[in-house]
Amino acid sequence: MSAPDAPAGWKRLFLRYEMLLFAALVAEWLLFHYFGTTTNRRGVVVGFGTMDRQFDILRHSCEIGLLALALTPIIITAGIDLSVGSLLGLCAILFGKLWFDGGLPIPVAAGLTLLIGALAGGLNAGLITGLRLPPLIVTLGTYSLFRGLAEAITHGAVTYTDFPTSFLFVGQERWLGLPVQAWLFALVAVAVWLLVHRTVFGRSFRAIGFSPEGARYAGLPVGRRVALAYVLAGLIAALAAIIYTARLGQAKADAGTGYELFAITAVVLGGTSIFGGKGSVTGTLLGVALIAVLKSGLATLPIVIRLNAAEEISGLLTGALLLAALTGSVLPKILSSLRSHRQAG
Amino acid sequence: MRALRGVDFDLAAGEVHALLGENGAGKSTLIKVVTGAHAPDAGEITVAGRTVHGLTPTLAQQLGIACIYQQPALFPDLTVAENIGLRLEHGGATRRIDWPARRARTADLLARVGATIDPEAEVNELSMPEQQLVEIACSVGAGARIVIMDEPTASLTQREQGRLFTVVRELRTAGVGVVYISHRLEEIFALADRVTVLRDGASVGTHPVAAMKEADLIKLMVGREVAQLYPPAEAPPGDVVLDLKAIGCTASGVRGVTLELRTGEIFGLAGLVGAGRTELARVLFGLTPADSGEIRLNGRRVVIPSPRQAIELGIAYVPEDRRRHGVILEMPIAQNMTMAVHRTIFPRGWLRDGAEEALALDFIRTLAVKCAGPDAPGGTLSGGNQQKVSLARWLATKPRVLILDEPTQGVDVGAKSEIHRIIRRLAKDGLAVLMISSDLPEVLGMSDRIGVMRGGALATVLPGGSDAHTVMAAALGQETNKGAA
Repeated sequence: MSAPDAPAGWKRLFLRYEMLLFAALVAEWLLFHYFGTTTNRRGVVVGFGTMDRQFDILRHSCEIGLLALALTPIIITAGIDLSVGSLLGLCAILFGKLWFDGGLPIPVAAGLTLLIGALAGGLNAGLITGLRLPPLIVTLGTYSLFRGLAEAITHGAVTYTDFPTSFLFVGQERWLGLPVQAWLFALVAVAVWLLVHRTVFGRSFRAIGFSPEGARYAGLPVGRRVALAYVLAGLIAALAAIIYTARLGQAKADAGTGYELFAITAVVLGGTSIFGGKGSVTGTLLGVALIAVLKSGLATLPIVIRLNAAEEISGLLTGALLLAALTGSVLPKILSSLRSHRQAG
Repeated sequence: MRALRGVDFDLAAGEVHALLGENGAGKSTLIKVVTGAHAPDAGEITVAGRTVHGLTPTLAQQLGIACIYQQPALFPDLTVAENIGLRLEHGGATRRIDWPARRARTADLLARVGATIDPEAEVNELSMPEQQLVEIACSVGAGARIVIMDEPTASLTQREQGRLFTVVRELRTAGVGVVYISHRLEEIFALADRVTVLRDGASVGTHPVAAMKEADLIKLMVGREVAQLYPPAEAPPGDVVLDLKAIGCTASGVRGVTLELRTGEIFGLAGLVGAGRTELARVLFGLTPADSGEIRLNGRRVVIPSPRQAIELGIAYVPEDRRRHGVILEMPIAQNMTMAVHRTIFPRGWLRDGAEEALALDFIRTLAVKCAGPDAPGGTLSGGNQQKVSLARWLATKPRVLILDEPTQGVDVGAKSEIHRIIRRLAKDGLAVLMISSDLPEVLGMSDRIGVMRGGALATVLPGGSDAHTVMAAALGQETNKGAA
């Protein structure tokens, strides 16, 4: 009955949510800047307020950020990919092996790694769209499979190191004032934003997320579109693996362990509905930033340093933040239903 | 927003009182008030001489008010006896269940509503009308004195409808007051004693049905004269567009359908629910491709392996279930309208908001879609307007063959005749229209030719203007003699 004003209200709420995230991010940053910045005995500013720290945050958020970007289209189709973290590990190992054992030049090894990532994503896609298996179970399987392969290839012991400095440049140096991988990340972010918000692919993802049957009846190629999202995720996970290797200077089998959960958290925190249909890349980026600043900022707070529990506290707060965001998103609905209930009773 | 403003309604014991009104006239809200789901903020409710304040669902049940909804609310994985036991048996979680008594009671209640259903059958094995009978048995078992039926025949075939009518008449004989809500006027004339018409949340009059004519009721409902229910054909059909030769699909049970469809023609497809009409449409639209026979489009032999291919060939399908298949409720109208034409309107894959909005505004205007604008989500529209959005999506593909599946189901009378005029106009503009409908007057009134399906096959093709009896007889086949009332 409130039909006429519904769309405007909807849009308003959505805009408000992204604005809210942005405000939270700014507040968070200012807070850490105030409490986490000190001057040491030699009069040098240390802690959160340094440019080095800001670049550090950027570097650390690139890999999880890439996975979050990869997951955004998938979650919009009401799917999920738990395997991206494991795939990051597998791709890192294969990249190292292709370069070190295979003797291939870095660019060729990187190209092949991206191809492998896309193929691994294709495996997920084939099982999900071809055999119509649920994404949660398929990617839970490949989550173990990819990690297991990485462990098997390295016997859980081999680590590839001694990469040339020209390659480490990607992960450790700056270009035009910013960490090199931040440029790559920005490039992917723009591409995914365009894909999700400005193309028929993104439109289809939404339609499929809201109603896969409805999308099929509208003649949309549902299987092909869903497959695209998973293949793309594999490709982006491979890119994340290369950047990860360049940042740490080593490729190891446990690379990216647990990253998928951070990435999913960032996406959902960014306002993308786990039930599909609704979601935005901007939200995802804000979600990633919020988590990355929180993680890094906590480690600079004197009290946290004294407790030596930065990891634990950041995990706790990330969880609380996610639950708060989810609760907040359903709160208006619950309140209005309570109100009508009270009216009826 | 006030959904109801001053409704007077009285129900006598042993009468069937029809409640009539366009969608949004306030019928559903009135039911919610009477069953205690919503509290009225003015007026009073009197049940059996006692004024009731603060009606709650529990209190309503105690007063003997029962409501049977269009979609039965039974547990599909439990048996009939278990469902009835859950509703009618009292006691805590630790009580012992007397299975023989439960079965006996269920059998007794089912017998009382004239149903031959096994109490041990699981509800998901039952047909829709059987589930409704279980619901009615429940309300009889609960000692209901007032039974409200909300569009009970919406998903029933003509014959099942006849059986339901018998049960309703028996309830009336037993002294139960029945409130009967339906869009189908002929049902009201067949069944009801009195009729109350709601318009814009208020009652505009209660009349004995015997004193009313169809036109009077329509006039009361819409508050204006609806000139003619069905627009006439204006020109003879043209060339053959779609030519089916012995089309079959094993998976969906379509068997050897042969028919020709011409430009400018409305070909009505009648038949009982489950006769294979929707299945045939799904074959033609590539959702379940044909595995035998031959399809020719403009004389050229084609295969239709997917909806995408169907769209490219110029075949469009406006599905029956518009909320699940026709419109994506959460998405804006404009996006719904362009969904089948991404390739033509966004040729490079990039969205073009201007082109999309122009297309949407164009259809909103030509089809007179009542909405807040092209950005309004599909779910905010009424049934009839959702149907127009679904129709617009397919007209945007510029089809040569338009398949309409129950185009006016659950649509109020005003929007219904509007949709009929649109369909006739489309045919006049040279489209070949295949119209599936369970609404017999609609099939008879709209069609230039009428195909009747039975058991997955096209039983017969009748000329337009055939009478209801002939069509029903063809649909029922062998069972003509036992046919509907």
